[in-house]
Amino acid sequence: MIENLIVFGALSGAVYALLALGFTLIYGVADVINMAHGAFYMLGAYAFSIFLMNLGYNSITNPSSFLLLTALILATIFVGFVGIIIYRLFVHPLIENPLSVLVVTIGATLILQQMILLWFGDVDMAVPKLLEGYTLLLGLKVAYHSLLSLVLSLGLIAILGIFIARSKIGGAMRAAAQDREVAMLMGINTERLYMLTMAISASLAAIAGILLNPPAASPMLREWTYPLVMSFAIVIIGGLGSIKGSLVGAFIIGYVEQAVRVFFPGMGYLQGAAALTVMVLVLVLRPRGFFGKHVEAE
Amino acid sequence: MIKMVGALLRRIYSSFATNILDVPPRLLAFLLLMVLLFLPVARLDLYILRIVTIALIFAIFAASWDLLVGRAGQVSLGHALFFGIGAYLSAYLSRFHGLPLWATIPLSMLFCALVAVLLGFPCLRVKGPYLTLVTMAFPLILAVGFFALDPPFGGEGGIALTRAQRLFPMEALYPQRVAEYYLILFLLLVSAIILYKIANSKTGIVLVSILDDESASKACGINVTKYKLLAWAISAFFAGLAGCLYAHYIQATPPTTVLGLTTSFYPVIMTILGGIGTIYGPIVGAFILWSLMEFTLWVLTDFFQFIPFIANAGDELRIIVYIGIIIVFIIKWPKGISKFVVEKLDELTEKRELDERKKK
Repeated sequence: MIENLIVFGALSGAVYALLALGFTLIYGVADVINMAHGAFYMLGAYAFSIFLMNLGYNSITNPSSFLLLTALILATIFVGFVGIIIYRLFVHPLIENPLSVLVVTIGATLILQQMILLWFGDVDMAVPKLLEGYTLLLGLKVAYHSLLSLVLSLGLIAILGIFIARSKIGGAMRAAAQDREVAMLMGINTERLYMLTMAISASLAAIAGILLNPPAASPMLREWTYPLVMSFAIVIIGGLGSIKGSLVGAFIIGYVEQAVRVFFPGMGYLQGAAALTVMVLVLVLRPRGFFGKHVEAE
Repeated sequence: MIKMVGALLRRIYSSFATNILDVPPRLLAFLLLMVLLFLPVARLDLYILRIVTIALIFAIFAASWDLLVGRAGQVSLGHALFFGIGAYLSAYLSRFHGLPLWATIPLSMLFCALVAVLLGFPCLRVKGPYLTLVTMAFPLILAVGFFALDPPFGGEGGIALTRAQRLFPMEALYPQRVAEYYLILFLLLVSAIILYKIANSKTGIVLVSILDDESASKACGINVTKYKLLAWAISAFFAGLAGCLYAHYIQATPPTTVLGLTTSFYPVIMTILGGIGTIYGPIVGAFILWSLMEFTLWVLTDFFQFIPFIANAGDELRIIVYIGIIIVFIIKWPKGISKFVVEKLDELTEKRELDERKKK
């Protein structure tokens, strides 16, 4: 039971970190609370399966890992472009007004949801696993897919961390996060920077959608609220705009969710509520999460 | 005697003329009210009457949100909490304890205000986007609670109410719906006036000062906590009213609706669409949102049927067009439609007065 908790909590926590990282990134850099983050997650999983289908993948007759990889990359790039389009069309004209941005991204979510319905009809798609088979870990069956997800998520987070800390664009991102106007005065094209950030953020959500869907099976698909609410909870626990924070928050939420699954079997609907309750408790104790950037009282 | 009545009538008319007829925005509001008042006389379809009534309920809800956000600056994304508590409590008391509605509704409203004050204490420590996101969690947690406690709260469908618990338990369907419509319209007017008065009273000004600069208001000796809690309580009070009316109108309290994310999003969308911080803006926004939805349903569904490739996809396309129009509205008029209209009308009157002066 405890092994169950430790292993599966860590596995889902890592992918949640990836999901929340995108959310916290676009908030930290552009001050945008992106309600469409759940939609990117959903769209990622759908785009992945549709690309696979069109590439001729079949889990029995043609289980080629090359095709899986191609579809993964294509879906990620595709969702990144959708993110850019949504930023350019909806968010950019209202960037000065956070509440309007909130409303417009809710609208974008609903539009994406209807487009998915148009594209696929009202059916659940099966999202194939990246790797078949399983290994035994602490006497538990752990799918290779989950292990790969863990490695991939942590790897991507590490790459992103280095990118933000070391590269020129990363420096621009940190500058824009601190003070938008000064960053503009220093010759940073904030519009293009925000667009790039949105694309990275959307791509991260899409990868999380592709990685997280197979073990959870299809009921979570077409459902954008659950991943969205989970990203909120994680980001709030860790502190908005902090990469370290969302990593910590994601593992907390992953373990809480797994604890509910282990100790209250058959009551899956409690998972979300438990995660949110933990979030509220953390916030009562630490109003800015664990690693939140200090909000000036002006 | 007759002379006195005549003089009184003349005075009422002249004050009406100077206060309403000569002020274009007010005249517009007055005309809208007249349309709403005489709507049922046109013997509308029951379906349309139902849509308009629900729009009225959500207008109350959105106006209460505007006081909290547009005035006090406490951006809450979980206003469905008070909507849901109001709905559940009023439904529970009337269904299982047989209390009359004139007792259950005020009780639920007061309870909502109490909950707001109790929640306000921990929430006030939290600021900015954290507040926005933490408030969103409360209704979702509570919805799961109601869902899990099936015996009294009815699980997925919520508490099912009977005809006896409607606002007017009459036999004939149409007069009943019309009576409910007028009651809800009356309640909307009363709550809008109260909210507007509060928003423009001394309290409202203090709230705006807190929104503008919290530390400066503190330095001026304003008890910031007290005023913020007051805004929460008043806002929750009216949100609770909307919840009660909704539960008794649709005769159920489905937790995924009354406590759902969508219900929390509605007042935000309506307020941004209509104009934040005005109280009348959200009401305008509610009507635009609802009438646009029905309009697209009515016009586009038939229209799409004649276009060969998308005949089967009419429903999804209709929603996409609908949301697209709303987003365009928000981008075009970021301050809100009602503020835009009021500004335009004011400009026109100023221009007219200038012209008249030039002629002289």
